[in-house]
Amino acid sequence: MAVTLTPVDRAPATSRATPVRDRHHRGAGRWLVLALVTLGALVMLVPFAFMLLNAFKSPSDYSNGGPLSWPTEFYTTGLRTYWTTVNFPLKLWNSTLIAGSVAVLGVAVSLLNAYALGIGRVRGRLWIVGLFLLANMLPQEALIYPLYYVAKQVGLYNTQLSVIIIFTVIQSAFGTYLLASVMGTFPRSLLEAAALDGAGKWTILWRVVFPNLRPTLAVLLIFFFIWTWNEFLIPLVMLIDNQTQTIPVALASLQGDRLMDAPTTNAGALISLVPAILFFLIFQRTLARGITAGAEK
Amino acid sequence: MQRFRRIVAAIALAATATTTVAACGGGDSGGDSGAKTLKLWHYESANSAMGVAWDRAIEIFKAEHPGVEVRFERKAFEQIQQNAGMIINSSEGPDIMEYNKGNATAGLLSSQGLLTDLSAEADKRGWAGKLSPSLQTTARYSDKGVMGSGNCFGVPNYGEYVTVYYNKDLFQQHGVPVPTTMAEMTAAMDTFVGKGVTPLGMAGAEYPAGQLFYQLALAKADRQFVDNYQLYKNPVDFTADPLKSGAVTFADWVRKGYVAKDSASLKAEDMGTAFIGGKTPMIVSGSWWYGRFKAEMKANWDTFLFPGNTLQAGSSGNLWVVPATSKAKGLAYDFIDITLRPEIQDLIGNNGGVPVAGDPAKISDPKDRKLIEDFNTVSKQDGLAFYPDWPVPGYYDVLVSGFQGLINGSKSPDQVLDSIAKPYADGVKEITGK
Repeated sequence: MAVTLTPVDRAPATSRATPVRDRHHRGAGRWLVLALVTLGALVMLVPFAFMLLNAFKSPSDYSNGGPLSWPTEFYTTGLRTYWTTVNFPLKLWNSTLIAGSVAVLGVAVSLLNAYALGIGRVRGRLWIVGLFLLANMLPQEALIYPLYYVAKQVGLYNTQLSVIIIFTVIQSAFGTYLLASVMGTFPRSLLEAAALDGAGKWTILWRVVFPNLRPTLAVLLIFFFIWTWNEFLIPLVMLIDNQTQTIPVALASLQGDRLMDAPTTNAGALISLVPAILFFLIFQRTLARGITAGAEK
Repeated sequence: MQRFRRIVAAIALAATATTTVAACGGGDSGGDSGAKTLKLWHYESANSAMGVAWDRAIEIFKAEHPGVEVRFERKAFEQIQQNAGMIINSSEGPDIMEYNKGNATAGLLSSQGLLTDLSAEADKRGWAGKLSPSLQTTARYSDKGVMGSGNCFGVPNYGEYVTVYYNKDLFQQHGVPVPTTMAEMTAAMDTFVGKGVTPLGMAGAEYPAGQLFYQLALAKADRQFVDNYQLYKNPVDFTADPLKSGAVTFADWVRKGYVAKDSASLKAEDMGTAFIGGKTPMIVSGSWWYGRFKAEMKANWDTFLFPGNTLQAGSSGNLWVVPATSKAKGLAYDFIDITLRPEIQDLIGNNGGVPVAGDPAKISDPKDRKLIEDFNTVSKQDGLAFYPDWPVPGYYDVLVSGFQGLINGSKSPDQVLDSIAKPYADGVKEITGK
């Protein structure tokens, strides 16, 4: 994900930043790469273009002209219908609350786990890391029923807390795996220097390890947020009241038994996508700042 | 998506199966006369026939039950389809909800004791008298969860059936009269083919192909066949009529160009939009399209019953069910009673739906009236034959892949029948234990 997203995002930025005269001196290879990257970015944008096109089309327009036709009128009823029928602000709050809590808690749990495994070097860490990886690969379908049963027994069924706990665990399984590997390569000299200065385990974690890992943690935070934001199955099963549901579940309510309403679904998808994109754009900056901050230290 | 959905459904089923004991322990509380809220769930969109009618029913209910709060939530179809068992097995479920009819859904939950037996209420309030026998089939489930006999676990409000939609403008343009017999129907299709128009819209990747096959088979079938096929009364022979003639005729229609070969990969949505867009003269599909065509189609169109058949694919619509965990059963019964009143039933009819107890004379739009009269005709002659994929779980995908092969010409009718016979036999064996 990070590897594919960054070049696409960077390419125009670099080309803009480089002085015009300079570009001509870089040779044809650069232009070729730029062209390929632009092409790749455009291909990735095609589905978004379709969504945009159909989000502003009336259902009859869609049925008569198909998904490729240009809308005959600027139709916003679909957007408004979706907004009001699913009570979008509430769903937005629910999704933000769940995804935000999971992102923060998941990163915190991953950090603590990985500290013990990667730097603390607890006995049998390879097996533990392997176990985390296994837990991460387990399909959610297999987890659903046990989760439902436990949640019902402890009285958390149909509460957002149940979803937050579940995803904190699922996401931190991946986070632990990743961070444990990263911390395994942490320079021992830094740790030893800190220990010589009389730093305890907590101080080392907060003053030495954490600042150095901040960029990685920021990336994890963003991923956890977006992954949790897009989760469908577990929220669908666990959150049965409309008051507690998340955006992807609300989006599913537009799909009927045998009929679908493509323009409204597109409109809904468009509205639902905006917060995730905004979140990503905002954190892109924080991310860049985090990287430079880490480099200075 | 289909595969994913099935996995989830299977898990949900397994889940509910293991907790049956717990659910049965609850028993009937009965004493809910003091209930002050009615938690009501359904998944019809607000502007659909049922959505409009049920909104009105809620208003009437509120007027007749002052002091009772109705907590209505519109749910996602997907959510109810996948999780109903889990939801109503908890204390968080609704007091009354809309649920899918059929063995795999309402039947399964009833056999696990998760639904309230409505038989006594149905007798007392005269609901049974308003529903024709073939409509009642999908409301009654045996202790094994097989529809057709046993206690009443749900009450349908609307019906649905497979009919022929045709584009009047295209018929006129090509000088084709509206067929009333099967011979006229094939003659009409020949005319279209002669003019280079594919007469029948089709979608091989979804339910329409299986339903057309079933319609063609029903042409030579009687009620006994439907009972055998759907209710497992006797073994079904896939190498003999009516199923054989259904597959052979289907292959014939493909060969003659009535159905386009490249429609094997199309979805129902593609078929529908092609019809709305005026590209297809006819489609054979269900009354669930009606409201959409009425709202979106610019060309003139109408419907006629699949010619020559007394039996038509169709059934009652989804059911009102009262979960065993309902905390307001008395209020739930009152609400069901309101939805069966003429006022609500006529509202369904006037909004493009097919009411189960509607009076066609009260329906103002002639096209709406035709839809309902046709349904009443079928329903009165006990002609609702349900759907081909109903008998066994997972049969939908078997039919889709079978008839895709028939449409694109990679399989002969015998091969297709062969490929759909075994899963049917295996499935029936699992259900009946024979």
